[in-house]
Amino acid sequence: MLSIENLGKRFGGKPALAGVTAGIADGSFVGVIGRSGAGKSTLLRCINRLVDPSEGRIAFHGKDVTGLRGKALRDWRSSCGMIFQQFNLTGRLDVLTNVLMGRINHMSLVPALLKAWPDDEKLRALRALDRLDLADLADQRAESLSGGQQQRVAIARTLVQDPRIILADEPVASLDPRNTKIVMDSLRDLHREAGITVMCNLHSLELAREYCTRLIGMKAGRVVFDGTPEMLTDDIVIDLYGLEANDVLDLEEAAARQLNGSAALPSAA
Amino acid sequence: MANASPKTAHAAPAWGGWLLTLGAIAVLVFGLWHLGFSLTKFLVGLGSLGKFVVLMFPPDWGDNASLWRYIKALAETVAIALLGTTLAAVIAFPLSLIAARNTTVSQILRFFARRGFDTLRGVDTLVWALIWVNVVGLGPFAGVFAIAISDIGSFGKLFSEAIEASDKRPVEGVIASGGSRLHAIRFGILPQVAPVLISQYLYYFESNTRSATIIGIVGAGGIGLELSEMIRTLEWQKVAFLIIMILITVSVIDRLSTQLRTAIAGSKATPN
Repeated sequence: MLSIENLGKRFGGKPALAGVTAGIADGSFVGVIGRSGAGKSTLLRCINRLVDPSEGRIAFHGKDVTGLRGKALRDWRSSCGMIFQQFNLTGRLDVLTNVLMGRINHMSLVPALLKAWPDDEKLRALRALDRLDLADLADQRAESLSGGQQQRVAIARTLVQDPRIILADEPVASLDPRNTKIVMDSLRDLHREAGITVMCNLHSLELAREYCTRLIGMKAGRVVFDGTPEMLTDDIVIDLYGLEANDVLDLEEAAARQLNGSAALPSAA
Repeated sequence: MANASPKTAHAAPAWGGWLLTLGAIAVLVFGLWHLGFSLTKFLVGLGSLGKFVVLMFPPDWGDNASLWRYIKALAETVAIALLGTTLAAVIAFPLSLIAARNTTVSQILRFFARRGFDTLRGVDTLVWALIWVNVVGLGPFAGVFAIAISDIGSFGKLFSEAIEASDKRPVEGVIASGGSRLHAIRFGILPQVAPVLISQYLYYFESNTRSATIIGIVGAGGIGLELSEMIRTLEWQKVAFLIIMILITVSVIDRLSTQLRTAIAGSKATPN
């Protein structure tokens, strides 16, 4: 159970989050929705402390993570994997080294800095890559891969962390429809097979409804909706997205049409 | 990342340009007068320059013993440049991490590192050579120090700017995976900046081969010492030979380092 209590964050006086309270049950797949600038990203970044909250408290299984420092903070980050919109790999390093970053918290400093990876860690990273159908790309530079492949490398990096939570910040916003499905499906597989809690920021309502068991709607840094996808009515969507609502609803219909269309013509994909 | 800077349209009135031109001409004329410029002196001088050129032909190295000495002196010059540049880069790299906004450990240390670089850089290599000749005595040792000290300043500034310009996303990737700051620098920043740093190092080595010749003249070892000696004793054929030796060496190093640098830059030019 991840509990977020009265969380607030200000960037130079401007509030990005205010009074956010939510409890995330273990093994749930939570989608955070809302228009850009609603504070979705800041919320996720507060959880693994890439951003330090200005007020409030985050606790995981009763243990406060808001005040963690040093090794304890790195352990916490290691136990909650993060997937970024822009993948955040090191482009000039090979794929395997990028995946091994997920193990770096468990290795001794000097061999790690010299890239003298222990065999069992290499094996673990290769297995994760294999699970995402990327094993044959292990020695390629990350930057030579396509966006979809890079995001799967990032998922493999998260996977070797053995995380209890995965935080995914707009994981598919830079991807085409085909890769969107591959990446979202692999997140769902991790969630189902390993029972990992997933908290995922999504701009697309269509995806949020399809993959998430629970949705949190944010507007101007506050939680304005918290419930199952079925509870999300058009009225709430209009409130969440304001003037963009029509776009989102139209897009949703268009996406639905596209999904049906591609299902009818699998060879076109 | 599209980072379009706004174009600054400069609409100065037409007479502003004329005024500026007139002002520039006035400054130039005053400068020439103040420095005692004289066309006759220049023309007469041009004549004797021609005489020197005639005296330089054919270039000649004298006996075999002095040829050997020149080759050793030239090798010493290249060694001074190589050691000085390497020493500077090795010392400057950790300091540049302190001086870069995104990797510094404290704002106060960052301030001192940056001002320190400015100070070292502000004093020319030649001046450092004069200082070191007095501190450690005549010879190549002083030359190595002169180049190293002044280039710590230049490298520190260039390296820290490259570090500041690096993409922060890989760093976030490493940190979010549970990595420490050291891990983030090693695996997030270093792979990005290494090609830039190596390229700057090679460029400085190339340019320091020329500097090492000059500082030899003030006694900091190498071919410069021989060159100034030959000019003093009016051995113009030997001077010509030494100059040709230096030119060939500098151009060979220039070619090699350009090739290496384009090879490194080329390997960076991958899509995405």
